[in-house]
Amino acid sequence: MLEVTGMMVFYENALAVNDLSLTVEAGQIVGVIGSNSAGKTTLMNTISGLILDLREKERRKGGERITVMGTVRFEDRDISDLPPHRRAEIGIVLCRERHPVFGDSTVLENLRIAGHLRARAEVKQAMDLTFELFPNLARYKRKKAGFLSGGEQQMLAIGMALVVKPRLLLLDEPLLGLSPAMQTTLVQAIKTVRQETGVTIVIAEQFARPILPMIDFGYVIENGMLTMTGSGQELMDNPEIKSAYFGH
Amino acid sequence: MSRRRERIDRGIKVRADDIYALTSWREMLYLAAPRVAPVLTLLVVGLAAGPYWQRVIMTTSMFALLAISWDVLAASGMVSLGQALFFGVGAYTSGMLNHYFGWSPLLTIPLAAVIGGAISTLLLLPVLRLRGLYFAMVTLIMPLIIERVIEATGIFGGTEGISGLASLPHRLVELLVAMVMVWVALFGLRRLMDSDYGLVLKGINDNDRSVMSAGINIYRRKAEALFIASSIAAFAGAFMTHAYMFVGMPVFAMDYSILPIASTVVGGVGTLAGPLLGAFILVPLSELLRGLGGLRIVIYATLLVVFIVGLPEGIFPYLKRKYTQFERWVEVEK
Repeated sequence: MLEVTGMMVFYENALAVNDLSLTVEAGQIVGVIGSNSAGKTTLMNTISGLILDLREKERRKGGERITVMGTVRFEDRDISDLPPHRRAEIGIVLCRERHPVFGDSTVLENLRIAGHLRARAEVKQAMDLTFELFPNLARYKRKKAGFLSGGEQQMLAIGMALVVKPRLLLLDEPLLGLSPAMQTTLVQAIKTVRQETGVTIVIAEQFARPILPMIDFGYVIENGMLTMTGSGQELMDNPEIKSAYFGH
Repeated sequence: MSRRRERIDRGIKVRADDIYALTSWREMLYLAAPRVAPVLTLLVVGLAAGPYWQRVIMTTSMFALLAISWDVLAASGMVSLGQALFFGVGAYTSGMLNHYFGWSPLLTIPLAAVIGGAISTLLLLPVLRLRGLYFAMVTLIMPLIIERVIEATGIFGGTEGISGLASLPHRLVELLVAMVMVWVALFGLRRLMDSDYGLVLKGINDNDRSVMSAGINIYRRKAEALFIASSIAAFAGAFMTHAYMFVGMPVFAMDYSILPIASTVVGGVGTLAGPLLGAFILVPLSELLRGLGGLRIVIYATLLVVFIVGLPEGIFPYLKRKYTQFERWVEVEK
């Protein structure tokens, strides 16, 4: 479904993603595991196309020169030069890190803004799914999103991605800043989403412990380079992963 | 094989960044040239020019001061749409001191800079808590209010203004004082903004809550920055008052609010040198275009748009980058 080949991203002279290739089959949950500054966010931005916008902005204001190389193919179509909004239209939806919501709008308004691409009925259906997944959110429908807790904002952000009816859902650090209990809730919700909608999911995360058990396939990246691949179970059994991410 | 463009600091810059590594005249020249050359150029051009263009350079210097003061305010998180307020308050203060007390311009100009700065700061003190658009709106309205108050009540000469004020001793003295003041303001404030004090001001602009958490009273700091910036603008106003030997309602005109912003945008926001460069491009340009009549504004405005769209970072940062870095194509190895 998604095929990234020979991806290289430079921020000025710093290499953020180094010759990375990965494949995602339809219906899979794929994990991209890496510590801080491994290149997870850059990879997600490259798949969703946001990097193209960032590159143009930096170019205009004479800031850092961003160089993007390699190809992104989505359902046998080369989308390397497709702008981010067109990618969202064909179903690649990114939920950015640090739960980006519209702070001054209510929860319902946030979901409606996110769903402007889709028909009203579809949005309604996706909203129902969101409130079913996150009952907490349903209680705060008319509350301003800026006043929600970090966890609730993350749930709302995922809801906003679901409303776009993604075929490929990209989650960038969905567990960031959440308590272990909240992490479990969210992992459970992600599994339910896959079951109910059959969407393909790519999760970039540094917390390997809650993520590894649920993924079909995982990529471990370090300093922008692919260091290990394998199924969730294989990665969990790997001694290096154990020492680096589980602490024993 | 794919290639990408690489940006690298010039070796001479890397070495010159460390003061101990200055080993040759070439390196010292590299550091000194961008600072000394503009000062000398302006001096030579100023002295060689005729009376009319000397006048233009003097006016431009005052606009440059306004622009630098705008940039200091903006760097401290206060976007002002009313440099005319500071300019006008300074102008009226020195005018009054000269008219009613008969004091010499050599005394009234420095006094007006300090008093004008203080008055402007007091006027804006209640709105220091406002940020961004709200602060800008208040500063936009302030000069209009004062203008109308003067018109309605007829104080300070009312609509007529006050003419026949004392002039500065000599045309050349005038020119040289203007130039010296511009360079003192530029280099002094650039140093200030690089010091710890300036870093706090920049921090207020970036994230004022973090600055508060560091135990710093941001309103006090903002008031101080406002005083520094408005004093400079008030100096420009006082200076122009004595240059024209007249003070009146036009000192609160929009020109004095808008031109500094345009200069800053063209030159480069946050650099202080950019606004100065911008003023020295825009003001003489507008004089050159004077012969074109009505088309002048059209050409002038078009140029502004071209600059903003084509070079949003500003001329100064662009030149600086070209001076300190070079670019080359490199092969990317996988």
